[in-house]
Amino acid sequence: MHNPSGLHARPAAAFVRAACTFQSDIRVANLTTGSDPVTAKSIIGVLGLGVQRGHRIGLLIDGADEGPAAEALRALVEAGLGEGEAEAEPGVTRPS
Amino acid sequence: MELAGVGAAPGIAVGPAWRYAATDAGRARPVLDLRAAAELASAELMTLAGKVRAGGRDDDAEILEAQSLMALDPLLLEAIAARVAATAAGPDQPIDRAAALAIIVEEVAASTADGLASIPDEVLAARAADVRDVGARIARIITGRVIALPDEASIAIADDLPPSVAAEIPDGLLLGVALERGSATSHAAILARGLGIPAVVGVRGLLAAAGSDGTPPRVALDGEAGRVIFAPSAEELTRLATVREEREAAGSVARELRGQPGRTADGHHIGLLANIGRVEDAGRALEAGAEGVGLFRTEFLFVGRGTAPSEDEQVTAYRAVLTAFGERPVVFRLLDVGGDKPLPYLRLAAESNPFLGIRGVRLAREHRAVLLAQLRAIARAGAGGAGPRVMAPMVATLEDVQLFRAMVDEALAELDGAGIERAARLQLGIMIEVPSAALMAPELARRVDFFSIGSNDLTQYVLAMDRTHPELAAAADALHPAVLRAIRATVDGARAGGIQVAVCGELAGDPIGSLVLAGLGIHELSMDAGRLDAVRFELRRRTSAELRALATAALAAGSAEEVRALVR
Repeated sequence: MHNPSGLHARPAAAFVRAACTFQSDIRVANLTTGSDPVTAKSIIGVLGLGVQRGHRIGLLIDGADEGPAAEALRALVEAGLGEGEAEAEPGVTRPS
Repeated sequence: MELAGVGAAPGIAVGPAWRYAATDAGRARPVLDLRAAAELASAELMTLAGKVRAGGRDDDAEILEAQSLMALDPLLLEAIAARVAATAAGPDQPIDRAAALAIIVEEVAASTADGLASIPDEVLAARAADVRDVGARIARIITGRVIALPDEASIAIADDLPPSVAAEIPDGLLLGVALERGSATSHAAILARGLGIPAVVGVRGLLAAAGSDGTPPRVALDGEAGRVIFAPSAEELTRLATVREEREAAGSVARELRGQPGRTADGHHIGLLANIGRVEDAGRALEAGAEGVGLFRTEFLFVGRGTAPSEDEQVTAYRAVLTAFGERPVVFRLLDVGGDKPLPYLRLAAESNPFLGIRGVRLAREHRAVLLAQLRAIARAGAGGAGPRVMAPMVATLEDVQLFRAMVDEALAELDGAGIERAARLQLGIMIEVPSAALMAPELARRVDFFSIGSNDLTQYVLAMDRTHPELAAAADALHPAVLRAIRATVDGARAGGIQVAVCGELAGDPIGSLVLAGLGIHELSMDAGRLDAVRFELRRRTSAELRALATAALAAGSAEEVRALVR
């Protein structure tokens, strides 16, 4: 996870909303803290993973649309879950 | 009757009290199907999110959108269904069945929330409150109870006011917020500041004083003084109106002064800087006209996580703040933790008295690698710039300074050895917050580039009083002459060594404190950005000679009360 606030509030909501659009069983775990996997369709479960910037997460996807689901969720996380340059405070630049 | 709390959003408001509570009046039709109730709750929250977003309050809208997902959360709904199945068949009366189901919903939501709150992460604690609030909403839909919203402009009186309930109050009908619980960082306080209405939080006895039925009493709130007055008298109302006018006049003058440096009536410059605790605070500090950052608390990068932040992650955060402030100074405080705020990856031993234990720069003995990585990150972030300032907290002895210097030299040598670009030099300072450091100021001043007085800890250590102790907090006043004499000794020592002294504790942002400190010869005052206007305004009204006379009288006073009485 490289977006500033990890999987908190809005990024978590974006992640869960995306997961809910797939039929497959999608489970996610925080590899950095060694958490047990939870369903990626539960915002409470995902928040409870306490995923912060710099943590690594793992996904277990099983079902009819597992390929597209894996692709979509990876792209979403890599794009920073909607938390990008535009989210910085005015006057603050975030050099990468 | 008058109750005291903590002022969390400024302003004065007078109006009828409105109690937030679910009521049977105007009861809606009960919804006995859990799934249907959850879907209704989710839809309501989404509608509220849209309304709040249209009002320009994006942060609140995000919370409501997340809550809309929580209402349909599979883990929550499965846990409720399991509890329902495990509960013996209930009474047949629909209302009683609804009541029984609602209780289960609220209980499961509460235990789910407790699970989230048990994770050591401040942000998750706030989300836990959101889960409880979602449970309460589903329960209301199940039983058909509704929240009676105010029908005239009112002051909300509540234990705590969830954002989802605040969002339902029509625009303009919320005049102010008074909470029995809550803190200045609680959501309702942030909401009040966003709406520009006063808030007073942590008011013990508030709900008991408000009564539960009958005509709602009139209430006056003073968000600066942190006061809640029930049934205010005519004289009280006149007085509040006068205070409001005075503050508005002073506020408009203060705002006009924004962007101008701090100085006295006779033109003597006093640097006015901001304390920040996150990268995001930089924007607010600049907006408030901060001349730099006098205290950048770096703990935000280190707390609430399982491993130390990487050096690269730190460089990114530090560079963001340095870039935002450009030529203006930024003072980094080295990681300041101890046994009272343990970090899992530092494995600090439990101590019987963490405030006198291994904290601040004393971590250098056992956890040198963490501090070295931080120093390297600061030096790298400052590459090509004016040279960042770094200060060590909790310095008590000359050996502490040697330790600090040795670490800085080592960090810079490591970067040079690896051929990594870095700031040409770091300006090194120390916090003066331990009495021994104030007493050794002349010797310390010869060994560093600047001092910064941490008046909060200095007060605790000089008076041997915990500022958070319920019975001692009022007496642990940084304006106590003993604390001022320690500050005077520090200024004298700095002067002998030819270095500058800043103050970065709460005293710097206190209008009376700032005057006394300027009179004592402090060069820079660093405070919460919200205090800059008031302090800039106060300083402009006095000459340096007046401030010096004030400081002399304050040093000769016998108590903090006597010092405060000098400025009236």
